[in-house]
Order: sequence, then C-alpha cells, then structure tokens
Amino acid sequence: MDTSKLKPQPLSYYLKGFKQFICAVLILFGVYLAAIWYQFSFAHLYGLEAHDPNFETYWMSWLYTEIVLEIIIAICLWSYLWVTRELTLDHVTPNQELQRYCTFSLFLAVYAWTLYWGVSYFTEQDGAWHQVVTRDTSFTPSHIMIFYLSFPLYIIAGVCTLLYAHTRLPIYQTEGVSLAHVILVAGPFMILPNVGLNEWGHAFWFMEEFFSAPLHWGFVILGWCGLGLLGVILQIMERVSEILNSLDTQNTLTQADS
Amino acid sequence: MSNTLPSEPNATTAHIIKALEWILIPTLFFVIIGSFHIHMMLTAGDWDFWLDWKDREWWIVLSPVVTITFCAALHSFFWKNFRLPIGATFAILALLTGEWVVRITGFHAWSHYPINLVTPATFLAGAVAIDAIFLLTRSMLLTAILGAPVYALLFFPSNWAWLAAFHVPVELHDQVMTVADLIGFEYVRTGTPEYIRMIERGTLRTFGQHSVAISSFFAAFLSSLVYVLWWFIGKSFSSLKYIKERI
Repeated sequence: MDTSKLKPQPLSYYLKGFKQFICAVLILFGVYLAAIWYQFSFAHLYGLEAHDPNFETYWMSWLYTEIVLEIIIAICLWSYLWVTRELTLDHVTPNQELQRYCTFSLFLAVYAWTLYWGVSYFTEQDGAWHQVVTRDTSFTPSHIMIFYLSFPLYIIAGVCTLLYAHTRLPIYQTEGVSLAHVILVAGPFMILPNVGLNEWGHAFWFMEEFFSAPLHWGFVILGWCGLGLLGVILQIMERVSEILNSLDTQNTLTQADS
Repeated sequence: MSNTLPSEPNATTAHIIKALEWILIPTLFFVIIGSFHIHMMLTAGDWDFWLDWKDREWWIVLSPVVTITFCAALHSFFWKNFRLPIGATFAILALLTGEWVVRITGFHAWSHYPINLVTPATFLAGAVAIDAIFLLTRSMLLTAILGAPVYALLFFPSNWAWLAAFHVPVELHDQVMTVADLIGFEYVRTGTPEYIRMIERGTLRTFGQHSVAISSFFAAFLSSLVYVLWWFIGKSFSSLKYIKERI
C-alpha cells in the first residue's frame, strides 16, 4: 500500500463540506422563519375559513408553490447525488474515507435540523392552532407548514443521507445496507403517508378535543424510528476508529522504517 | 463496539474525533428533540399543555411513565458504548428545549394563550437523580428498581414549586374552583370540555384523600417496568447490522 496516502491531512481537509453545511442550515432556518412569519401575518386574517376567497389566495397559493418547489428541489438534489456517484469505491483511500464520513455526519446534521422543525416545532404548533380553530379543511395554515413543507423537507434531507452513504461510503458497498440508517430515514418518512390516516380520522370522528387521541399514535411509533440514529452513530464511530487505527499503525511503521 | 481508538492518538486523530463529536452530539440532540417530543405530545401532551389539566391523579401517573422511555433508551446507548451516565438528563433537556420553544412561540405568541396556562412540566430533578443512581450502581437492573421509582416520585414535588400557586381555591359565581381552573375557563379551547379531563370519576377518595402519594407510587411501579422495556428498545435501535441481501 502506498503509505503517502495514509499521511494525516489537516482538519480542513476532512471538513471540506463545512461551509456548505452552514449554508444549508442557514437557508433552512430562513425558510422556517419565513413560514412562521407568514403564519403570524395571515393565519388569523385569512386562514380561519376554507371557503373564503382570500383563503385560496393566501393559503392555497402558498401550498401549490411549496409543493412544486419541493419536487424541483428533491429532483435536483437526488439527481446530483446520483449522477456524481462513483461506480466503484475500491480506490478510496483511508483519508478520503475519513473525509466522507465527516461529510456524511454533516448530512445527518442537516437531516436532524429538518427533523426537529418537522416533528417537534411544527407538530406541536399544529396543536396550538387546532385548540383555537376547528378545522374545515385538510389544508389549514398549520397543516400547510407541517405536512406539506416541513415533512417533505426532512424527507428530502433524509433521502440525501441515504444516497450519499450508498454512493460514497465503501462499507455500504461491501457490507450492504445499514439497518439503523434505513430505520432512521424510513420511519419519519412514513409519517407523511400516516397523514392520510390522520385526515381520514379527522373527517370521520370529531377529534379536536384530545391531542393525545389514539388516532395520532401512528405518528408516535414512527417517531421512535429517530432512535435509529443511535445505530448510525455507532457505525460511524466503529468505521472511523478502524481507519484511524490503520492510519496510526501505518505512520508508526513509516517512522520506524525511516 | 469492537474497535477502540489508538491509545495515544496524534493531534490529527484527536482533532477528527473532536470534530465528529461536535457534529454528532448536536445531531443526536436535535433528533431526540424531534422523536421524544412527538412521542410526548401525542401520548401525554394535553396534560402537559394545559395548567388546568395538571390534576393530582392521571397527570402524575402518565407523565413519568411516558417520559422514562427515552431516558432508558439513551441510558442504554450512552452507557454501553461510551460509559456516560447522562442519558436521562440528555433526553429531558432535549424534550424541554423542544417544548419551551413551541409553548412560547406557538401557544403564547401565535395562539395568544398566557404562558402560565401552557407551561410545560419539568422532569429535570428526576432525570438528574436517575442518572446519579445509574452512575453509582452501574447496573440497569438496580437503576430500574431504585432509579426509575425515584424519577417518578420526584415528578410531583419538583413541579409543585411552580404549580402550587395555581391550586389555591377561588370562588366565582358561588362556585369553588382552583386558580388553574379559572384561567382555563377564561381561555376556551377545543380541549376545554370538562368530561374530556379523565380525572377522579370514582367515588373513592383514596388514602384519606391523599391521591398524589398513591398516584406517585403507582407511577414509580410502572416506571420500573417501562424502564427495563425501553432499555432493550434503545439497545435494539443501537444496531450495527448491515443487510447484504436484497430486501
């Protein structure tokens, strides 16, 4: 093995994607703040009555716009990660693999940020809204932000983590699919289809009085899948430890030879 | 974990490990906020949202039992892999962060409920206590037997400091009620109906009307069982498994 490839690089080499990570977090933060500002500005004004023409103007237009943009963003990001993939990962050096694990961790951090806004902030905020307003549509001002903005955004980010890992990390080619990673992404993803059950239930029964109703427990069980991150962290630490050990051993041997 | 780090890592190795820690620990924190918060809000949320739902029987049983879940899962993860007895405090800090952000910006600023009405319960005293017991015993079983009950028993006392003032009786239109009830009646919600609060429908006034104590001890018993169950759930999620076959 060419030991020059094993020489440790400066930290900036491993954290090459850090600027893009900061940009992604800030852009997403801006999107969420804009959504909250819109709710504060127009929810009580035009979001109380689904048959009001202003509801169509202010809320349904927002809904159609965000859905179109999300589809475009998903296609662009997922295609980019797929098209720029490497067909074989045999040539990846330990340093490159370490760098990729750092980037993969940054991808997970972006996913965590979107997951927080989706299943924590906007979900409980939805409860705050429906304790005030009894719904007459599936597209309430809170639902438009939770189900059709924040959920799709974390699904896009989650699939990005899967695509990155499968196309850049050698262990996903040699060992197969990480069970914990699939759980981490698929569980919260399934919350979106579960919205269908939720909307059906809210049409069939009167559910407004009780946020902890059994109808909502599907969200709870799928939310537990976030714990899949525990396994993913252990897998990262295990592989990074292996690489660092090999780097350390090789460097020691090189020093002894010289 | 089967691999350990080099015994004397060089500077670059140490920097990489530290960088990964700085990325992955906040990542875990935000994911736990999300997972734990949605779990809490959709199983015990109504009792945590509203001041007038914080009764002396059901709220005291439900809240510790529902929240010890993620504490146990993270105990399993942090202790078995990193020898850190911080799982409960980490989980509760995440939960309270998520709750406080929405109570202030969502319930208070957007829906205009007074913050007194929507203050979340605290679990921090119990979380610190169960972590300390775990550190001292270094045993899942002993923590389930000793720590989980302490976690549940501390729930009501640690909340009583801020809650007591709202349980003072007041008279309005010849009706005696608590200040909490009065605030609740002033701010009508879809969750307001009296019948929906599943409290004290029975005729028994247990143990000389000291419902809090018996509720706390019942919560303590249940918490022990739930702690063990969720320890293993946490262990299951900490899977290192890769699947090679096509699913």
